[in-house]
Amino acid sequence: MNETNLLSFIIFLPAIVGFVLMISTTKIEDVRNIAFITTIVTLILVLKIYINFEPKAEMQFVTNIPWITEYGINYYIGVDGFSLTILMLIAILIPTSYLLLWEGRTKGYWINMLLIQTGVTGTLLSLDIILFYFFWETMLLPIFLIIGIYGSGNKVFSTIKVTIYTMAGSLLMFVAILYLGVSFFNEFGTWSFQYNDLTKLTQISYSERIWLFLAFVTAFAIKIPLFPFHTWITDTYSDAPTGGVFLLSSIMAKLGVYAVVRFLIPIFPGLFIEFSDIFVFIGLFGLIYFGIAALMQDDIKRMFAYSSASHLSLIAAGIFSLNSFGINGALYLVIAHAIATGGLFLLIGFLHDQTGFKSIKQLGGIAKQAPIFTFMFAIMLFSNIGLPGTNGFVSELLIIFGIYEFNHTMGYISAVTVLIAASFMLWMFQRAILQERVGEVLKMRDLRLKEIFGLAPWVIIIFLMGIYPDPFIDKFEPAVVHYINDILKIGAIK
Amino acid sequence: MQTSYLIWIILIPLMGALLNTGFYFYHIKYKELPEKLFAIIGTVTPFIAFLITLNLFFKLLDGSANLEQTMFQWLDVDGLSIEMKFLGDKLSIFMAMFVTFVGWLIHIYAVGYMKGDKGFGKFFAYFNLFLASMLILVLADNPIILFIGWEGVGVCSYLLISFHYTDGNNVMAGNKAFIVNRVGDLGFILGVITLFFALDKTGISFSSMEAYIDVADNDLLILSGFLLFVGAMGKSAQVPLYVWLPDAMAGPTPISALIHAATMVTAGIYMVARFHFLYSSVEEIGLFIAYIGAISALFAAVIATRQQDIKKILAYSTMSQLGYMFIGVGLGFYSSGLFHVFTHAFFKAMLFMGAGGAILALHHEQNIFKMAQHRKKLPIISATFLIGVIAISGIPPFSGFFSKDAILAASFQSGEYLIWGMGMFTAFLTAFYMFRLYFIVFVAPNGKEEEYTYTEKTITFPLVVLAIGAIGAGFLNFPAIFGGSAFIDTWLAQLNSVELHMSHTTEYTLMFASIAVAAAGIYVAYKKYAKCDVFKPESEEGIIANKFYVDEIYDVLFVKSLKKLSNFFVHTVDDKIIDGLLMTVCKEFITIGKKLAIIQNANVRFYAFYMLAGMSAVSLYLYITLIGH
Repeated sequence: MNETNLLSFIIFLPAIVGFVLMISTTKIEDVRNIAFITTIVTLILVLKIYINFEPKAEMQFVTNIPWITEYGINYYIGVDGFSLTILMLIAILIPTSYLLLWEGRTKGYWINMLLIQTGVTGTLLSLDIILFYFFWETMLLPIFLIIGIYGSGNKVFSTIKVTIYTMAGSLLMFVAILYLGVSFFNEFGTWSFQYNDLTKLTQISYSERIWLFLAFVTAFAIKIPLFPFHTWITDTYSDAPTGGVFLLSSIMAKLGVYAVVRFLIPIFPGLFIEFSDIFVFIGLFGLIYFGIAALMQDDIKRMFAYSSASHLSLIAAGIFSLNSFGINGALYLVIAHAIATGGLFLLIGFLHDQTGFKSIKQLGGIAKQAPIFTFMFAIMLFSNIGLPGTNGFVSELLIIFGIYEFNHTMGYISAVTVLIAASFMLWMFQRAILQERVGEVLKMRDLRLKEIFGLAPWVIIIFLMGIYPDPFIDKFEPAVVHYINDILKIGAIK
Repeated sequence: MQTSYLIWIILIPLMGALLNTGFYFYHIKYKELPEKLFAIIGTVTPFIAFLITLNLFFKLLDGSANLEQTMFQWLDVDGLSIEMKFLGDKLSIFMAMFVTFVGWLIHIYAVGYMKGDKGFGKFFAYFNLFLASMLILVLADNPIILFIGWEGVGVCSYLLISFHYTDGNNVMAGNKAFIVNRVGDLGFILGVITLFFALDKTGISFSSMEAYIDVADNDLLILSGFLLFVGAMGKSAQVPLYVWLPDAMAGPTPISALIHAATMVTAGIYMVARFHFLYSSVEEIGLFIAYIGAISALFAAVIATRQQDIKKILAYSTMSQLGYMFIGVGLGFYSSGLFHVFTHAFFKAMLFMGAGGAILALHHEQNIFKMAQHRKKLPIISATFLIGVIAISGIPPFSGFFSKDAILAASFQSGEYLIWGMGMFTAFLTAFYMFRLYFIVFVAPNGKEEEYTYTEKTITFPLVVLAIGAIGAGFLNFPAIFGGSAFIDTWLAQLNSVELHMSHTTEYTLMFASIAVAAAGIYVAYKKYAKCDVFKPESEEGIIANKFYVDEIYDVLFVKSLKKLSNFFVHTVDDKIIDGLLMTVCKEFITIGKKLAIIQNANVRFYAFYMLAGMSAVSLYLYITLIGH
């Protein structure tokens, strides 16, 4: 296969398979197996990219062909250190998660899962902002269907809530994108929506910048979510099926952060440096606010919704500290959090599937019946609370270093992260998993070999990245250095 | 000097942990495996680690330079270059020696103690993992790697306290230990970061920090010294972060002996000694440490006098002894502080193991009065327990006397008479409550014929070995005044400890005074408890018996208020304010829509009117733009 088309193939393969499945076979085992094989093929292709990727700062495997020529909109994709890391993450997490998704009992579920994969990969690799917007919206539709059809509880309300919330943000962003495009045309006389062209804009006034910036920030803040745009997550996470929550928390939420890094900061570097205090503060506020809110949640999925939001706020704070420690740490936490939280959501899905409960009060006595399940659960949990030896520790350490370098006082505040997650996680672990249940003993089977194999790569990555982080950081550090030295500093001078 | 041995001190217990984990899963999933297998893996690995350490100790004794081993570059981001590197200098090998040795003995003890427990294999997996983490802490070359071990021992402590997890209270105690320790960890990590940036990012290994310590701003050094000590407060159970230690006694007794008496809790003192270059340059913090130590020593000793749970009494006595150690290191007498760490490891591990043996023989009874009521003849246990009690009370020539006396003399020489006074009073209380414990459990008549109970050899063997240590360890640092060579002070010369230099008369007077207070304590305990009626336990009321209500105060201050805040965030801020606002907007949207819908009412007259209005508007516009001009 031609190397230049590799990325396109990675993006569209799942969707193509999904469309073919739509009109062909109906046997659920076949559908599931084909979906799984598709993701494995994608993984192999991504591995090929990972190996051939040179640890340099610039974009690699670039494809740039005109798409809508009248307005200079191109099909422009490529990968650099930032996106490669997340691409790798997506490619590993999705197939292994398939081994643990018992709920996929219909064809539609798997087709939607495949479509989401195309959506997220496309969003990740787009370098033209219109193309980016296209994929950004594409991933919304299948997630809408997955929650609305395969969810539980008050799923219709949750579906509408999440969709309107996200759409509202997206529309603001779309207007801002068009405004940027028109400004580019006015300044240079040609149309372009490529991310590196848009950074060259100089003729936009300060107040215009602020409005555009706010439009983008709202869209991304909803997706991440940052305080106070977070109220959709608890309902959505609680009612969505496991696969949906897993994709939302592990992957889609990260795309919000990624979009900030890829488009927002390079286009508005000056504003970012000017307002970074506020953004780091919002991040830290969210970290503490969501962490405390998680404490008293009884629905385990709601608790993890807040926990997830808390960590994502920390990631955002790390990014906004705009130095090497902070950004490297935040990227590391993107991976660590995706693995740990993704794993936890899958395990909770399993727990829910087996016992029929997802309320902490109704659970208990699981450890005795399912020791391997508990072991896996504990490892994911320890990574989530950032214990040394796991990747969570490295990321939190770097982020605290970064925020401290940014501002000493905020650095001190950021360190409470070591307390927050630990308190509600361990308390939940005690009541839901360890201690004897009041009343009847719950029936629960332990993980099977297939499921253990599904989680094994995650566990290995958790420890590998925790014990020997340097090689992993090396893959994206050049991109971070380039980013800080060339994009931020030069951008700020302009 | 480069060596390839150091890592094996850590790796071998770690491999023991991994092997035991693997076998344990095999054991519960497929086929039952004999306890012997876990026991052999569990006990042989610490012993090998001990032998390697011993070998390195002799190398250093022969005058070899500091041993080093670099494994790999752990992290390298923007001036923060952290190596996975281990350092075997005289300090770390000194610590590693008794950690592996006492650790090994307690592993043997655990074989007998945990016999028949369903989680036997799991216990040894955790135990080995603990030892490996502790050795990472001790041998680390920079504070980040040290922190990995530091947190590692915390996790193992959590896992082991909540070992019998089906009882929620045990897990609660584990959680408490973990969270309170994490408060300390928060201080530690911030201390490291503050120091790193205070030294202009020059490097993070201990040696480079020591070399550049002069460039730093004094205020920042004070701040980082304080923050690092917060870490020590958590790990070494000092006021105000001590609350987890008494609760940690929920774990099986070998854990209390190894983790919560002999090794992990001394990590704080070790860390302060590691950062001696920092603490020597900021004397304010040193004095602060000494005062916290003195307060903790006294506070814990006061509480211990009224407790009835044998393990809790020992836990408070541990906290009290740790307080002494902090007086030593705080005032700059690092080697004296570490010497007390060393002797304490022997006699306290022995006391715990003796207590555990008695608890086991008396069907898991821990209340001292009830133990006395059902007393059985346990000759080895009671004899070794007595040795431990004498050692901790500070009666010469037992080991505790030399190490404690050195610290008291140090505080006297530094002119900190208040600390000295508190230390002396604590010494009196220590002798009192330890002998109270001994007299009630082993001596006071209970009017019954006692039967002899056989105790497992794996339990008695470590007791006897440690008893020898408890008697003899003091001679390792035999003071010069008696013609000794003060081996440990010389060995730890790299720490630049303040030296004791006082006239012989002062020194003799101080010694006499401390023996006198100890004797007084024993006498009071003898009068009060040697012949007391064990069927009439003391009341458990009053402020001391209730530990000054500190747990209750913390509960209101931190736990309850946080829960309230959590509910406020979720139910008020999220549900009512933010979502409420959004829902109002949505509802208003619908209301407006409904109102607008009135004009779409399928009534031809209305539509005709709209057309008229529209046409008029267009005409008006055309008139203004075309004709108006």
